[in-house]
Amino acid sequence: MITFAVLAVVMVVGALGVVLLRQPVHAALSLVGTLLTLAVVFVTLQAHFLAAIQVIVYGGAIMVLFLFVIMLLNLKEEATKTRAAYRWVAYGVGVIAAAAIAVGALLDPRQAPDALAVSEALRGGSPELIAEVLFGEFMLAFQLVGVLLLTGMVGAVALVQRHNEPPRPGTPLADASRRDARGTR
Amino acid sequence: MDPLGVTFLKALALCTVLLGAFAYMTLIERRLLGRMQHRYGPNRLGPFGLLQPIADAIKSVFKEDIVVSAADRFVYVLAPMISITFALAAFGAIPGGPAGSLFGFDPWIVDLDIGLLYVLAVTSIGVYGIFLGGWASNSKYPLLGSLRSSAQIISYELGLGLSVLSVIMIAGTLNLRAIVELNVWSVSPWLWPPLAVAFGAFVISAIAEVNRTPFDLPEAEQEIVAGYLTEYSSIKWALYQMAEYVNMMTASAFISTLFLGGYKGPTVLEPWIPGISDWPIVWLVAKMALFMFLFIWLRATLPRLRYDQLMRFGWVYLFEVALAAALVTGAVIAFVL
Repeated sequence: MITFAVLAVVMVVGALGVVLLRQPVHAALSLVGTLLTLAVVFVTLQAHFLAAIQVIVYGGAIMVLFLFVIMLLNLKEEATKTRAAYRWVAYGVGVIAAAAIAVGALLDPRQAPDALAVSEALRGGSPELIAEVLFGEFMLAFQLVGVLLLTGMVGAVALVQRHNEPPRPGTPLADASRRDARGTR
Repeated sequence: MDPLGVTFLKALALCTVLLGAFAYMTLIERRLLGRMQHRYGPNRLGPFGLLQPIADAIKSVFKEDIVVSAADRFVYVLAPMISITFALAAFGAIPGGPAGSLFGFDPWIVDLDIGLLYVLAVTSIGVYGIFLGGWASNSKYPLLGSLRSSAQIISYELGLGLSVLSVIMIAGTLNLRAIVELNVWSVSPWLWPPLAVAFGAFVISAIAEVNRTPFDLPEAEQEIVAGYLTEYSSIKWALYQMAEYVNMMTASAFISTLFLGGYKGPTVLEPWIPGISDWPIVWLVAKMALFMFLFIWLRATLPRLRYDQLMRFGWVYLFEVALAAALVTGAVIAFVL
């Protein structure tokens, strides 16, 4: 329980850092910290497989890409052009949302399952158990999420495509675009 | 399970050994490179230059520790620590011998059911060290180095993951000890072709992941000074060097464990010396030495890839080949066995 409390505090502080830090790289790093702390929470629940996947997918892949884009665009401290009034509206909405979540959690009649029982049910977080659920009961949802991600990827590729005709080979434009494709701009 | 105190001592011993091995790997590498390039290499300090690493250590500790004034101080100091911490942590899950073989204790630090994923996860966090270091230096060559590094590591992690998939499918487990005890090659000769391909793809991806020649673009000295290392000096620079060599050793041990029977020795020696194939540590170190030599040999042999070649090789060839190996392995398991 104490472990969880400490981890929860670290996670909330990390999440606040994502929103409040001005420097984009610092905010992204704060998010990395939050996600890694979540992995530690999984470890305390004996869900080792989930923890490893959390670190590999979020820590090792997604956040690396986030930081890659931030560095590539060389984003500096964000100039605060937002109007003060908007900021107060945002604060208000945030506080109300947080209060709603807190009230909902406190009024929920369901008892939180015992951590021991949870780790018992997870059987040491074995991948077999997760595979049974993921590729059995939730097979359709799993496939649909896959299709959704693929659609997103195709959309992203379509958005960055050039709309003009491919230039004829040998013209300066073609050479330039070839250099471009090689990434030696 | 060993008592906590013993595990702590083992972890301490492992870190000491890995860092000692790092110091002497630099000497071995320089001597071997010298030999391969027909020159001497460091041979002045002590017999065969054996005192050279100590001199190097003293030098890098007492050099001025410069913190660039334009740097993002916190991240700049944090980055090399991330590199070395996760490099050392990754090795802990690799088993060094059968249970209880190390004077009655287990020759590993942690034994996880998901040991394989643990190594992949921890090494994938280690890359933050490199590209945060490059970014925090606030200078153009380090930034180019970190961009190259993150693009490269993201690209080659795919090849790494896909080629590991063949082993996981055959072994049916993520536990590194179980994989070693099974020996993936002994399952069926039908699996040899895809396994051989996966092995090759894995070794290449692993070299790319540890940023060794011909994949050392993040620190390409002829193009971008020293890449992410440019603004680092003294002990912080040494920490990066340590991380690189420890990562090389982890990669060697990981390849051996997955594909070459890990801590198992050849059973042909059993009639002469009973129990020799179960000796802890010895065989793993021997196999690691093989791959360390391969890494150095490649460095002396191959020129560096160009950035576009690196990307094309990773995405067009390595990815497809590793994917094909995984598919063939799956097909063989499903239809032949």
